[in-house]
Amino acid sequence: MGFGNVGAVFAFEWRRALTPGRIAWWLVLAAFPVFLVTVVRINADFRAPQNPEEADLVRAGWAWFLFVLIPMLVTMLGTLLWTAPAVSAELERKSWVYIAIRPDGRTAMLLGKYLAAVIWVLLAALTGLLISVMIAGAQDTMQILMTLIGITLFAVPSYAAAYLLIGVLFPQRAMVLAVAYSLMFEVLISFIPAMVNQLTVSWRLRSLLCYWCDIEMPPSVDFATPPAWLHVLLLIIYPLALLAASVYLIRRREFSSAAESET
Amino acid sequence: MIELQNVTKLYGKVIGVNDITLSLPQGAYGLLGPNGAGKSTLLNIIMGQLTPTLGTVTVFGESPVNNAELYRKLGYCPSHEGLYSNVSALEWVRYLQQLNGSDRDEANERARKALDFVNMTEAMDRPISTYSRGMRQRTKLAQALAHNPQLVILDEPFNGLDPIGRHDMTLLLRKWIEHGRSLIFASHVLHEIESLTRSFLLICGGRLLASGTSEEVHTLLTDLPNEITLHSNQPKPLAGWLAANDGIDSIRISGTAVTIATRHPGELLSSLPALVAEQGIEITEVHSADESLQALFNSLMKIHRGEL
Repeated sequence: MGFGNVGAVFAFEWRRALTPGRIAWWLVLAAFPVFLVTVVRINADFRAPQNPEEADLVRAGWAWFLFVLIPMLVTMLGTLLWTAPAVSAELERKSWVYIAIRPDGRTAMLLGKYLAAVIWVLLAALTGLLISVMIAGAQDTMQILMTLIGITLFAVPSYAAAYLLIGVLFPQRAMVLAVAYSLMFEVLISFIPAMVNQLTVSWRLRSLLCYWCDIEMPPSVDFATPPAWLHVLLLIIYPLALLAASVYLIRRREFSSAAESET
Repeated sequence: MIELQNVTKLYGKVIGVNDITLSLPQGAYGLLGPNGAGKSTLLNIIMGQLTPTLGTVTVFGESPVNNAELYRKLGYCPSHEGLYSNVSALEWVRYLQQLNGSDRDEANERARKALDFVNMTEAMDRPISTYSRGMRQRTKLAQALAHNPQLVILDEPFNGLDPIGRHDMTLLLRKWIEHGRSLIFASHVLHEIESLTRSFLLICGGRLLASGTSEEVHTLLTDLPNEITLHSNQPKPLAGWLAANDGIDSIRISGTAVTIATRHPGELLSSLPALVAEQGIEITEVHSADESLQALFNSLMKIHRGEL
């Protein structure tokens, strides 16, 4: 399979994304953290820190707040909406067979949609992040900004790959299971100070935030956390492994639309 | 071109196709069967989208499952639409040609040629949502033909088309066949297939019941027990005359209707004008209920089970 096929799907999906509805979603996604940061900025009483400990606390507070808003919320929501229904949308529209009958069409469709989702969400997340950090006006703005950009760059491909795999495994219930995965696994289990939280993306992202922003690690993060380079390595391997699994499965599974299965 | 050896497809406990063995050389074939007969399942197996539970399939000598090279030789037009509403026919067909391995320029040229072949040149830049049903069908056909495949598989291509649309589609497909290309055409309507090809595959209940030319199918039909209903204002004399004929299995009178069962409906029907002329019995209506496709399939199923 050539990259041209993936590029063709990417271009086609991008073209289809340029609708008022999708553009509005992009704006909501980018504006959501900006809105919340603005509300906090206007309503909270930000007096100048009285000592270095207080300054550190405020800085850490902003870093955590922005982390929850962008690398967690925006990237998870954005990638979930794009990649979880990657297969089910084609099956429900009954356009699946046109793609499946092309040489390596299934793989190209999967990777092309993944690429489109990653870039679409990254643009929204980074736009929102840049504006939010500027509005927050926290101490060490550049350090927080660069840290969160790095974390976002790892978060988007990882979450997109996880939701894509869910979409391939369970196309009929992809959205529900993706939401369940997010809440149960990436939110709940990631906070349990036990070995199981090492399987979550969000635990590794939180660890990187603490390392790169010099923030004291809370117990759930501190539990058996490896060095930062290992988190980075695993966050690079993680989406690649999930993508490989998705491609393997989509090439071997039988999918047929409702209309076809009736006959 | 296509070889199936004892192919069976099970969906859990439901049988999609049942022990089908066939060998098709290159040419045009009609796959005839009622709704739910297993036509789409069989086509999906031929295209490698479904793997048989039992048996083997080869298309152009190769297994069709995940076979990228083979897919370049196939074109498929499904029975359902599955089109994207907010893109144009040109964009969509070009996109699918790119997925076939063409670069953008080549894909564009192929898409334009195919859309021109199906008379969609004028509308090809408009969003698909603005198309009529016939235009959508032609667009679907264009994507199946654009890469000049060796075999085109069409699943109920006349679905939802008005008579003019059907006529146009028939002409397009005839043109395709005249170019020496192979085609498999699935339908549940006999005359749709007859308008394109004389080679039939009859499928019902997941089984391949018969195959052959249209003449052989009609012969099969006329040699099977047929029920014919004649309406007359003199039903009893008519029944009496019919009873004197050989080959009548049963006669039933109900009001003005005389219903007979015969193994030689062709001979009987050809003798009716003489009856009218010589006996003066007026016949107002003739119905041959068993000429329906379902009756043919029912009879073939009985033969298949050894009941006839």
